[in-house]
Amino acid sequence: MNAFAKLLTVMMIGISAGAHAATFTFTAIPDEDETKLRSRFDKVADYLETKLGVDVQYVPVKSYSAAVTAFRNNQVQLAWFGGLSGVQARRLVPGSEAIAQGYEDQFFKSYFIAHHSTGLTKQESFPAIGGYTFTFGSKDSTSGRLMPQFFIERNLGKRPDDLFKRVGFSGDHSRTVAQVEAGVYQVGAVNYKVWDSMVAEGKVDTAKVSVVWESPAYPDYQWSVRGDLDAKFGAGFKAKLTAALLEMKDPDLLASFPRQSFIPADNEDFKPVEDVAKAIGLID
Amino acid sequence: MLLQLQHLTLGYADREIIHDLSVSFKAGEKVAILGVSGAGKSTLLNHIHGQLASVSALCAQSQGLVESLSLYHNIYMGALARHNALYNIANLITPFTSRLAEVSALCDALELDMPPSQLVSRLSGGQRQRVAIGRALYQQKPLFLGDEPVSALDPAMADRVLELIIARHETVIMVLHNRAQALAHFDRILGIADGRLTLDSPANKLSLAELDEFYAQASPDQVDVSGYVAGDLPSNVRGDGA
Amino acid sequence: MTNRLRFIGRWQRLTLSLWALCLLAFILADTEIIALEPWNELGRMLSGVLTPDFFATEQLIDALWQTVSFALLGVGLGLIIGVPLSLVYHHPIVAALCAFIRAIHEIFWALLFLQLFGLSPVTGILALALPYGTTFARVFHDILCQAPKVTYASLPYGSDAVSRWLYGKVAHVLPQLLAYVRYRFECALRSSAVLGFVGMPTLGFHLESAFKQGHYSEGAALLILFIALIGTLPYWCKKALLPLYFIAALWFLPPVANIDSQLIWRFVSEDIWPQAIRDWQLGELGLAAALGQSASWAFELLQTQALEGIGATLVLAFAALGLTHLLVCLLLPLGYTALIGRIGAGAQRFGLLLARSVPEYILAFVFMLLFGPSMLPAILALGVHNAGLIAFLSGKNIKDSGLETEGCRGLDGFGYQVLPRIYPGMMALLFYRFEVILRETAILGMLGVATLGFYIDSNFSEIRFSGALLLMGVTAMLNVAVDAIARRVMGEQLRQPQRC
Repeated sequence: MNAFAKLLTVMMIGISAGAHAATFTFTAIPDEDETKLRSRFDKVADYLETKLGVDVQYVPVKSYSAAVTAFRNNQVQLAWFGGLSGVQARRLVPGSEAIAQGYEDQFFKSYFIAHHSTGLTKQESFPAIGGYTFTFGSKDSTSGRLMPQFFIERNLGKRPDDLFKRVGFSGDHSRTVAQVEAGVYQVGAVNYKVWDSMVAEGKVDTAKVSVVWESPAYPDYQWSVRGDLDAKFGAGFKAKLTAALLEMKDPDLLASFPRQSFIPADNEDFKPVEDVAKAIGLID
Repeated sequence: MLLQLQHLTLGYADREIIHDLSVSFKAGEKVAILGVSGAGKSTLLNHIHGQLASVSALCAQSQGLVESLSLYHNIYMGALARHNALYNIANLITPFTSRLAEVSALCDALELDMPPSQLVSRLSGGQRQRVAIGRALYQQKPLFLGDEPVSALDPAMADRVLELIIARHETVIMVLHNRAQALAHFDRILGIADGRLTLDSPANKLSLAELDEFYAQASPDQVDVSGYVAGDLPSNVRGDGA
Repeated sequence: MTNRLRFIGRWQRLTLSLWALCLLAFILADTEIIALEPWNELGRMLSGVLTPDFFATEQLIDALWQTVSFALLGVGLGLIIGVPLSLVYHHPIVAALCAFIRAIHEIFWALLFLQLFGLSPVTGILALALPYGTTFARVFHDILCQAPKVTYASLPYGSDAVSRWLYGKVAHVLPQLLAYVRYRFECALRSSAVLGFVGMPTLGFHLESAFKQGHYSEGAALLILFIALIGTLPYWCKKALLPLYFIAALWFLPPVANIDSQLIWRFVSEDIWPQAIRDWQLGELGLAAALGQSASWAFELLQTQALEGIGATLVLAFAALGLTHLLVCLLLPLGYTALIGRIGAGAQRFGLLLARSVPEYILAFVFMLLFGPSMLPAILALGVHNAGLIAFLSGKNIKDSGLETEGCRGLDGFGYQVLPRIYPGMMALLFYRFEVILRETAILGMLGVATLGFYIDSNFSEIRFSGALLLMGVTAMLNVAVDAIARRVMGEQLRQPQRC
């Protein structure tokens, strides 16, 4: 195959992505590495295709809110949501439900991290972070925004705007780490898995930034499906899909999320997240 | 009778330019209008154009050339009314060969020896005047109205172009400065001074000396420009104010 | 003394008032510099730039092509929208409507159309075409107004209106119109890339991820490709090739999902209304109560988000405008070959290419590491980016004027001949650009600068379309107001005799 033909093939692959009627589509944004989404999740699509016997296609999206929109508009029938985006999505699509979650998502947590100049060190009780500058992750993140804001408000009794000197939204967990490390913000809230893997990979200077508080556990990521699956793809499709997700054992596939395995879940599991979102006014 | 003007008064809100002027034009006449600058000649000519728009082609001092269009297109614009909009749009994109042949012939007659694809912005003052005349000629109207259309041409070239204009139009009314040209090519001469008609005579009853005297009377303090012969002016002297 | 004051002509007065206004904005702006330790992260960035990884991005060719393709189709559709509008732009309602549409950032149009058409190329192309079309309407109208009117008298009696307009008016300014379309195409490439931030399959899709997650080698490679794409525009964007590109753009467009009328109906009948009205629709609330609650909802939104947003937006935009002007005045002489020499001018041109090609988002991120999370990084990012653009365009004007070759040498030549000639054009560009600056403040909300765009983005991410839409309306009204004031100020300036 000559170079031109290769190029054309690459283009055609890029172009052929997108849904047509009989195809089962899904989307996922992993909490850590967002690069090479398509290469990684096309493998997941292939896996589901062999298990389900229908065409399966992965639709890459940029943000949780885009994922929610795609789910609501029936551009995807299955989505790997964060805790908050899952709640938002299921409220918008009657009959939709959470069918599986990551093993780690039963007891997910956030870290509060602080720049060394604050003098804060790791402690069990909620740290006195009022008066510092503070950054969340992206606005619609569960572990970078929703839960940290809830814990701040519950423990310190004030809204972040009133509590901190400045409040920022870094847009991403690894940005939060980089910004607190550089002292741009003095304190930040971050997804614990992202922090742990950044430390493991040596991408963060722990002399400059360290964890000062670990949040209590809460449920986070989950697979949610639309309610009309069986009507569209045949009776028993949802059960088959759930089984396929729970049976996913290939470490290569699981690494894309990254989770060690998937376990059953239902809408009730995420009630705490919904209550928190209501409590801080992110949903009505 | 082509046009009869009676007690014509023209002007702007604060200034009258033509006062109580009465004159008539017959078809077939070749009329030269003389007068010092500011006498009201152009105003009168524009008024005539307004009255006879449907039968006349105006070659104004401002020329109205379009810099970014070719020589061909600038002349072709004389034919806009003969074709529908679609034809004109298509011609803008790529010239029709039959029209191109017509315009090329006209260019030859006007001694414009550059390629018709040449942009007008590259032409000299004398060449630009002939393009403007070309557009008026290409209108193929029975009446030619010219406002000093040959002022930038050398005398010999001006004579040839005037002959061409006169040969191709039944009636010609032209504002001129050059008295010799007026006497040589026209059969009736009008003189305008301060917005009034002060001279109206067959050309063959007038001499150059009498015309000189008319100019001297009309404006004793003005510099006589009648003998001035402009060569091909540099191209940056443009009448259209672009 | 009074004699000297009389030399302060129209442009000097304009410049001085501009500076005063911008200085005021700068004083009001929060520009605190916070002591930092940016060197770790900047070191990672630098090593990324030094070791660009061109193979880290999947479907790179596709992303490059889609960037060009969205830009082409967006500008094409923009022309279809803009040309007819430019003919009726003198009507105040049309002008206001266009200002309304232009005021909203491409990203927000995309977020809006995402609800209507989903992740479809229609979303991206419309998001480009609407603001671009209405910009074309304004600029084409302004250019056409400048066309000389003398040609009409020499056209034959009875020519049809279209032919008269084309030959007698458009032809006069066609080179300017085409030059503007060309310039807008360059802008569209940038916008097209930025649309990747919200999910269109363009370069921005990968660029944003790479920078967001600190994959600087990948990010640097994408940025280099993007700058090269814009820098080589004159070499690959040939008139003769355009039809080919258009056909290819349409042919290779990602599949267009069926337009679902239900989505559109749901959007206009449910999504955009406040909760109370929805409750009324569902019969859970009386009309009076619904209206009352909606009013208090709108009032609260305006009070808590819109007012603060307007303040921050205006302060940021004016401070950025002042910085832009200052930077242009500094950068412009550096590109004058007769003053600075060939090498210096070449370096300036490359610097301008960098300044105008790197998205503000990335500039702001670098500045934030250096100066901390105040409004300062946002001001700098906007200033550098827009100064790069205006200095580039003004430099082109200098070149076209031919002054450089006419022997206007040295600082004298620049000060006495070049600057007076190009200054009015430069100021006009600056005022045009102000509208863009106002719009661009929107995507700098990540710095914690609570502009209107920040709140619109928040409402979108909280799936509160009614709030987002209300704030978009406020943004648009702000732009309409600024546009009207600017027109009045500039108009009065123009009526005064020029002396400069």
